[in-house]
Amino acid sequence: MMDERTILLVLPILVLQIALMIFALVDLVRNPNPNGPKWMWAAIIVLLNLIGPILYFVIGRRNY
Amino acid sequence: MNLVEVKSLSKRFGSEHAVDGIGFELAEGSATALIGPNGAGKTTTLSMLAGLLEATGGEIQRKKNLSIGFLPQYPRFFPWLSALEFTEMAAKLSGVDAKKARQQSERTLGFVGLHQVAHKKIGGFSGGMKQRLGLAQAIVHQPSLLLLDEPISSLDPTGRREVMELLKSLHGQTTVLYSTHILNDAEEMTDQLLFLQNGRLVEHGSLSEVRSRYEDPQIRIRFENADAAEGFVQQAPWPAVVKGTAAVIPVKAEGPAMQEVFRFLAVKNLPVVGVEQETASLEDIFLKVVAGK
Amino acid sequence: MKQFSALLLKEWRENLRNYKIFWIPVVFILLGITEPLSNYYLPQILDATGGLPEGAVIELPDPEPEQLMVAVMGQFQLIGMLVLVLAYMGSIAGERRNGTATLLYVRPLSYTSYFLSKWLMASAVSLFSVWAGFLAGYYYTAVLFSAVPFGEFVAFAATYSVWIVLVVTLVLFASASMPNAGLAAGLTLAALLVLQLIHSLFGSRWEWSPLRLPNYAASFLDIGPDANALAWTLVISLACLIILAATGIWFAKRNRAKTKV
Repeated sequence: MMDERTILLVLPILVLQIALMIFALVDLVRNPNPNGPKWMWAAIIVLLNLIGPILYFVIGRRNY
Repeated sequence: MNLVEVKSLSKRFGSEHAVDGIGFELAEGSATALIGPNGAGKTTTLSMLAGLLEATGGEIQRKKNLSIGFLPQYPRFFPWLSALEFTEMAAKLSGVDAKKARQQSERTLGFVGLHQVAHKKIGGFSGGMKQRLGLAQAIVHQPSLLLLDEPISSLDPTGRREVMELLKSLHGQTTVLYSTHILNDAEEMTDQLLFLQNGRLVEHGSLSEVRSRYEDPQIRIRFENADAAEGFVQQAPWPAVVKGTAAVIPVKAEGPAMQEVFRFLAVKNLPVVGVEQETASLEDIFLKVVAGK
Repeated sequence: MKQFSALLLKEWRENLRNYKIFWIPVVFILLGITEPLSNYYLPQILDATGGLPEGAVIELPDPEPEQLMVAVMGQFQLIGMLVLVLAYMGSIAGERRNGTATLLYVRPLSYTSYFLSKWLMASAVSLFSVWAGFLAGYYYTAVLFSAVPFGEFVAFAATYSVWIVLVVTLVLFASASMPNAGLAAGLTLAALLVLQLIHSLFGSRWEWSPLRLPNYAASFLDIGPDANALAWTLVISLACLIILAATGIWFAKRNRAKTKV
C-alpha cells in the first residue's frame, strides 16, 4: 500500500509535524520557567499529535 | 522654580483612601524622599504622578511638556528583548529620535554598568541587573523628572551602594522623587522629606528642619564601668541618668554645653572612655513621627 | 509614527522570538493538507480498519475539488480560529497582567499606535498562515484530484481574508477590554458562537452580515456571490472593524491603570 507516490504525498505532513514537535521540545528544554512540570509537557508534545505542540506554545510556554 | 505642584491630591479605591489630600512641591533639581510604612500610599502617589492612575481628588500641576522617567518597585520587562533593544524602544516611545535613541541607550547602559550584557536577552538577567536596567529605561530619554519607587530596597548591600552612587550622580541635573524605607540611604540624598502615613502627609520639610523638630539632643558620656557612671550622675550639677555603663544628659535649651562637661570631667578624674553629642537619626525621627500620629 | 514603528518592531520581535510566525503557519498548512489527503486515502483507510462486511465493494465518488477547498475553510473556521484566538488573546491583557505594559504606559504613549501595531502584526501573521494553508490545500487538491480555477481560488481566499482580519480585530478588542487573556478568549469565542446562533435563527435574509463572509468566499468557487450583497457586506465589515478598533483603543487607554505596578 505504501507506494512511492503515497510516501511523497504523506512525507510533508510527517516532516511538518515532526518539525513542530522538535521545535516545541527544543524550546521546552531551553525554557527556564514553563507553566507546569517539564516531563508533563514533553509527554503532551510527543503524544498529542499537532494539538500537543499547540497547547505547549499557547499555555505551557509562558513567554520567557 | 517648581516642576510639579501637588494640591490636596486624593485617591480612593472603593471606600479606602489610599492617598488622602496630600500637597507638596518639587523644585527643579531637588531630590525628595517619600518615606512611610508599607501601605502608606507611596506607590499610589508615584503612580498618579507618572500618569498611570487618575486622581479622585485634588490636582497635579506639571510644568508644560514635562518629560518623566519612572522606575516601578519591581520593573517587569519583555524577556525576549535584549537590554539595548528595550532601552532603545523606551527612548523612542519617549520621543527621542531613532539615531539618538541608539546612542543614548548605549551610553545609559554603560552608565548603569550593563554595557557588557547590552545584547543579551533580558530573560536571563538577575534581579540586580533588572533593577539597573529599570534605572536605565527611566533615564535613557534624559527626563526632567525621575520617579523611583523603592529603587534600592530589593538589592543586596553592594548593589544598593552602587545604585545609590548612580542616583547621587544624577542629583542636581535631574529632579528626583523616590520612595524608600531604607532611611540611611534617604539621609544621603535628600533636599526634602515627605512622611506619608495612612495616605496622609504627616510631616515634611528639609532634613535639618525635620530633625530640629524631632530631635532630643543629648550628651552621652561612656565610662569604663557602671559604678563610674553612677558616681558621675550623683556628682554632676545637671540632671543625668545612667544607661548601662554610660551617663546621658539631655541638652534641650537649659542643658550644659560640651565644654562645661569636659571641664567637669577633667576636675573629677573619672574613668571616661568617650564623650559624644548625639543627634537623632532619620530612623529615630521616623519612629517618632509614626508613633506620634 | 515614530512610536508606531518602534512598537511594530517590538511586535515583530515578539512574534519572531515566541515562534508565532513559525508555528501558526505550520498548523494552517497541516490543516490545509490533511483535508484533501484524507479524502484521497479514505477508501484505503476504511479498508484497512476493516469496518465493512466481507465482499462489500467501496464505491465512493471522488469529491469535487471545490468541496475540498470549502472543507479546508471549515477546518480553519473551527481549529484555525481557535488557534488564532488563543495565540493573540494575551496581546494587551497579558501585558497588563504581567506588568510588562507598565514601562510602556508611563511614557507619553499613543494608544492608537499601541493597538494598531498589535493589530497589524497579528493580522499579518494570521493572513500569512491562512494563505499558506489554503495554498497547501490547493496544491494537494490539484495533485490528487483536479485543480480549482486559480482565479476563483484567489477570490475565495481573499474574501475569507477579510473575515480573518475582522476576527483578529475582535480578539484584540477583547484583549484590550478584558482583565485577563482567558476572559478575552472567552469573550471572543462566546461572541462568535452567539452571533452565529442568532444568525442561523433570524438571519436568513441578512445578506449584508459580516458573518456571511465565509459563505460568500465559498460561493466564489461555485456560481459566485451576488456582487451587490458582497459589496454591502464588505462595507459593513469595514465599519465593524473600525468600531471594534476604536473602542479597543479606548479600552486600552482606560485600562492602563489596571497594569501591575
